[in-house]
Amino acid sequence: MVAALLAYALLYASPYGLRVLTVAGVYALAAIGFQIVFGLGGALSLAHGAFFGLGAYATGILGSQWGWGFAATFPVSLLVPLLLALLVGLPVLRLESHYFALATLGIAQVVHLLAVNSPALTGGANGLPGVPGIVLFGWAVPRGLPLAAVVWGFVALGGLLAWRLARGRWGRALTLVRDDPLAAGTLGLDVGGLRLAAFALSAVYAGAAGALAVHTQRVVSPEVLEFPVMVSVLTIAVVGGRGRVAGAILGAVLLLHLPEWFRFLERSYLIVYGVALLATIVLAPHGLTGLLDRLFPARPAPLPKPEAPSGLAIANGPLLRVEGLTKGFGGVRAVDGVSLTLKAGTITGLIGPNGSGKTTLVNLISGLETPDGGRVLMGSADLAGQRPDRIARAGIARTFQAVSLPEGASVLAAVAAARLERDGSIAQAEAHALWALERLGAADLAAKPCAGLPAALRRRVELARALARQPAVLLLDEPAAGLTDGEKAELAGHLRAIAATGTALLVVEHDMGFLLPLAGHVLCLDQGRPLYEGPPEGVRSDPAVVAAYLGEGAR
Amino acid sequence: MRRFLSILSATAFSAVFSATLLPGAALAGEASVPVLVPLTGFLSLEGTSQRNGAVLALKDAPAGVAVRSEVIDTGTSPEAAVTALERAAGGKVTAVAASMLGTQMLAMLPLAQDYGIPLVTVSGTASITEQNNPWVFRFFPGDAVTKEAHARYVTEELGKKRPAVIYQTTAYGQSGKAHLEQAFKTLGVEPVFEEGVDPAAKDLLPVLTKALAAKPDVLVLHLHSGPTALFIRQAAANGVAVPIVAGSAMHQPSTAALLEPAELKGVCAETAASPISGGSPEMEAFTAAYRAAFNAEPDAFALGQYDSIRMVLAAVQGGADSAEAVRKALSGGTHQGLAMTYKSDGKGNMAHSAVIVCYDGASRVPSITKRYDNLTGVVTGMVK
Repeated sequence: MVAALLAYALLYASPYGLRVLTVAGVYALAAIGFQIVFGLGGALSLAHGAFFGLGAYATGILGSQWGWGFAATFPVSLLVPLLLALLVGLPVLRLESHYFALATLGIAQVVHLLAVNSPALTGGANGLPGVPGIVLFGWAVPRGLPLAAVVWGFVALGGLLAWRLARGRWGRALTLVRDDPLAAGTLGLDVGGLRLAAFALSAVYAGAAGALAVHTQRVVSPEVLEFPVMVSVLTIAVVGGRGRVAGAILGAVLLLHLPEWFRFLERSYLIVYGVALLATIVLAPHGLTGLLDRLFPARPAPLPKPEAPSGLAIANGPLLRVEGLTKGFGGVRAVDGVSLTLKAGTITGLIGPNGSGKTTLVNLISGLETPDGGRVLMGSADLAGQRPDRIARAGIARTFQAVSLPEGASVLAAVAAARLERDGSIAQAEAHALWALERLGAADLAAKPCAGLPAALRRRVELARALARQPAVLLLDEPAAGLTDGEKAELAGHLRAIAATGTALLVVEHDMGFLLPLAGHVLCLDQGRPLYEGPPEGVRSDPAVVAAYLGEGAR
Repeated sequence: MRRFLSILSATAFSAVFSATLLPGAALAGEASVPVLVPLTGFLSLEGTSQRNGAVLALKDAPAGVAVRSEVIDTGTSPEAAVTALERAAGGKVTAVAASMLGTQMLAMLPLAQDYGIPLVTVSGTASITEQNNPWVFRFFPGDAVTKEAHARYVTEELGKKRPAVIYQTTAYGQSGKAHLEQAFKTLGVEPVFEEGVDPAAKDLLPVLTKALAAKPDVLVLHLHSGPTALFIRQAAANGVAVPIVAGSAMHQPSTAALLEPAELKGVCAETAASPISGGSPEMEAFTAAYRAAFNAEPDAFALGQYDSIRMVLAAVQGGADSAEAVRKALSGGTHQGLAMTYKSDGKGNMAHSAVIVCYDGASRVPSITKRYDNLTGVVTGMVK
């Protein structure tokens, strides 16, 4: 693709063709940044156009009004959107999906209104003419091929950086945050930090693109802050291929040239343009890069050699102590003064009727819910109320009642996500992930995509992911749900093997036939309160448990 | 569907036209005049008028002048306008009929200077003729001219001293408001109310109510077409008796079409010209030709662009055989157009006249009530 663009620019393009190519480069750079926050991070930031405009205005004002040169205006054009992103990112990134999109749209509207209504600074709705061209080391870059080369030079630099980030641990972590933020947190990933970093980095890209846009058109006006810029970038990302640097470049080149090819149709070109876009999205729902992947599938990468993570320690004695944990939702006491101790190498069963507070208790321990009171002690450290990633780093891992695996990832990549926070490279994380899969007899699944795996295998992969954390404490929420008897027996064997290494297991389960032979200790909850605590043998004979949960037929 | 067919037919007309070499007894010259105007976006109505005016002038090229042209939509972004100009500059260009959008013009100016291409436009806003660029020619009175006429009519003819000014928060609105403010100040009048309105506002009753609370004796509007119609409709519906003198958007037949004639009763507006109001056989011939070609009513933008291209073609007919020669002819010549006499003030401002039109409440065709010629934008008269 790079060679084709280069050949076109050098051999065929007219000044007009170079102009379109230059603008395509500007939008490619903006879209590469958008791929980071939207494609990889999954956050539909509608402030991206505002960051583009801020970069444009920084260059426009400083260049045309203050006489600053490119060497000074360009860094400022990166800095201004970055600072705004950091400022607004903290509150808005807490919002979920469409609320986040609306909040960022609001930011864009405010910035646009400020630009239009501050004529003394921004030139108001008329904007500011007289923005100087790019001067590099004393060389005033002329229009045409040199300007196109400079813009695409920035695209190449930005693209390379984004590509490396996307393929590295940071990109993988961000993808998991996009696909399953809850799981990402419990795997030790700082979800908020990753989102903020992606938001801020995307703003830097947008600011750079805005600055270059102003240098190419030599005037800055509120149009750079208007929604069509945002829509263009979003369309480029979707048509090119979400999350892919190549997608941003392909999309920008196509979408900037497409209207030009149909210009002779005057305003009817919009109809043709719309149909062409629609056709692209229908024929290539995963974008142009997705289509290319489908037509020319890449050869699967060879699997790494499984490698046991170092420092696997077998601990003794109590690992986790929960003391008087409480949690209420409105008027309902979901967990009411629950205490328990998980000892190294033991399996504790957690049972109770639906709504008794089992999953809430697991969520409280793993940080997905904040307790109203009580303590969660690992050694002397109280983890109650801490972020999931901090709790995960303290040595607690978990699985979920409804298995959630990233559909677009391979099994190996899904399990390796558990090691991203600990290992120094993707290769190392995958080697450790393969070790975890091997321990559960699932190494043969490594190259398979998560999408389409049967329920039993999905549970196996999720368990491997938790195991790859090398947890001191492993919380399993209904791990046998949906499994056949044979699969349950196999799972029980694996859980005993894990406990034998010193890990303390807390297993939430309804299947007494599976759990009672497995657990050494059982806690039964009812309406958030402990109903029974003791050996599994006593469960079926406890009148309170029978009355509240098992029923008379279970005796 | 009708709109779609209309677009297609206009496109077909344009395509055929662009390939036409108009016959003449002897070829006096060739003119290549690309038309780069906003056909899509919020200025599509006005841009279409611009396009139609230019196309009509090129179609009626003087004898002996062969014409080449293509129409390119600039949308409303400066970026698209620059790209369109770069595309047009790929061939030999005599002059360009350039966008009426000020921000697009500002973006095109450096490139026009680099390539040496005269830009003829009907942009009335933005300081496009204050950039020391000898390649721009404005064939529509700038705000300095029209707002002088606007303010003078309000104060001198209507005798009003307490205007409420309602403007748009766009380049057009901000520029007009600034010039109105200056013109009123020079006339010794201070507006009792000023407020900007977003063009997307769907209800103008709040701003109307606020304006009336300031007890104005006249409502002075400087709004785009849609908001102008909305404001006037809401004023009529609420029985507002305060007279309304609107900006040039009101004179557009497409704006009047949004209102019932009764709602327009007593409403006046400033504009460069009002072709549908007639006034001369030439003007009526232009209006008839326009209707026949485009099945639409011409407005001042169409007429201004028509006059501008006629002046370019007259220059070519007179021997201007290059873009530079055309620039010189536009800079130094005088052209008797249909709307007015055009002559550069040295900066490329060619139009120095404005008219006030008023509606009688019986039809959507206004009559010309007052004509102001040789306006400089510097108001010298004092309020009565």
